[in-house]
Amino acid sequence: MDLIDLSTRRGSTEDFEDFLRRLCARLGVDYASYATINPVSGAVQGYATYGEAWKRHYMDQRLHLIDPTLHKPALSIAPVDWSRFDRDAQFRKVFDAARDFGVASQGITVPIRGPWGDRGLLSVTAAMSDHDWRLLTRQMVGDLQMAAVHMHDAVMRSGLLLPQMALPQLSAREREVLQWVAAGKNQQDVGDILGISIRTVEVHLRSAREKLGALTTVQAVGRAVAMGLIHPR
Amino acid sequence: MIHIVDSLNKSEHAALLEAMFRLRKRVFHDRLGWDVVIRDGREIDAFDDLDPAHVISVDDQGQVVGCMRLLQTTGPHMLADVFSSILDGEPPLRSATLWEATRFCVDTARLGSGRGPNTISHVTSEVMIGAFEYGMAAGITDAVAVIDPVMDRVLKRSGNAPHGYLGSPKPMGKVTALAALMDVSDERIRSIRDFAGIHYDVFAPQPHRIAAE
Repeated sequence: MDLIDLSTRRGSTEDFEDFLRRLCARLGVDYASYATINPVSGAVQGYATYGEAWKRHYMDQRLHLIDPTLHKPALSIAPVDWSRFDRDAQFRKVFDAARDFGVASQGITVPIRGPWGDRGLLSVTAAMSDHDWRLLTRQMVGDLQMAAVHMHDAVMRSGLLLPQMALPQLSAREREVLQWVAAGKNQQDVGDILGISIRTVEVHLRSAREKLGALTTVQAVGRAVAMGLIHPR
Repeated sequence: MIHIVDSLNKSEHAALLEAMFRLRKRVFHDRLGWDVVIRDGREIDAFDDLDPAHVISVDDQGQVVGCMRLLQTTGPHMLADVFSSILDGEPPLRSATLWEATRFCVDTARLGSGRGPNTISHVTSEVMIGAFEYGMAAGITDAVAVIDPVMDRVLKRSGNAPHGYLGSPKPMGKVTALAALMDVSDERIRSIRDFAGIHYDVFAPQPHRIAAE
């Protein structure tokens, strides 16, 4: 599994690192980072405002493979305070070293889920007393939620991760089937119109649903229309 | 007493989850007649595999007597993907500070009517307090709950009336389902607590801090 600093990738349309830097300044925290796991390659991709020395150490030591703040918060629907990892040996291994680079082990990670099953993580850290940290997190957690969804959606829209996620690649047959379903035809009708069996209609429909990340056909039609992949009349 | 069980701590709470899935089977399949899938006496659906958080109420004897399932509306959730008919063709709400509550139920066979501990009203309030306080700590400002008219009346009578509804009620098994909106706020929590006379910390002791508690 690779770790990719997206800021080194060409083609980014937005300055995500600058967004994170301004977020730090506004909230009064030291550092912020955003990460997402590429659903195809499994690579951890993201942005961080950490200093170059800590970034280099983190990548050289391949700490992303063990860092629980990159793997566990996505399992939660709520922000996860890093105090939850206090007794986690792998957390200690990553963040005991972090202190030498001026990075606190006091942090919080906000997990965000996208409609395609994609997940992103926005984390901030700050060196301060436990008391002050509690006050600060309570005060900023709503802002962090809004920042996290903004950042995640923007990264997903940018197409940096996976261009085909931004626009699912539907075959002509899949589009045809969806088009007729959108026009109110049932599967038998669609099969008759296109001269294919009901079973084949079902296979194309199922595939189209999966590409669109939809659980139901109605939802797949809705998404395909919204994305301009089909045009019901 | 309320336990929050999610995919981070579910290995420590396997028995609670098991009892909760069995309670959901008794309520949603046996009593309400919803079109739900039962496996080995448990009601489990695709959304239980998407790492939701479960709010689980346990009585003095350690029995699971109430539960609710929470999902983020930014990701896949029931109103977007299953209950979309309730929304009359409108797109679902999507917000980082809006959670969806589904599979909200209490054990009416075990609990009594009236007020006080071990009543339907008390456990309903305890589950709502648990969910709202968990949401507050997570920076959540609103909730949309898929409920039936009976639960809707219970909420209205217990200092916890929904402030609005999305779309229109739709038949779901023997009852109808509706999407109720509630603010997640100190005022609402205080109102539920006052009605139910619950002035203690509802949460079971946690080995860690819940979000920004």
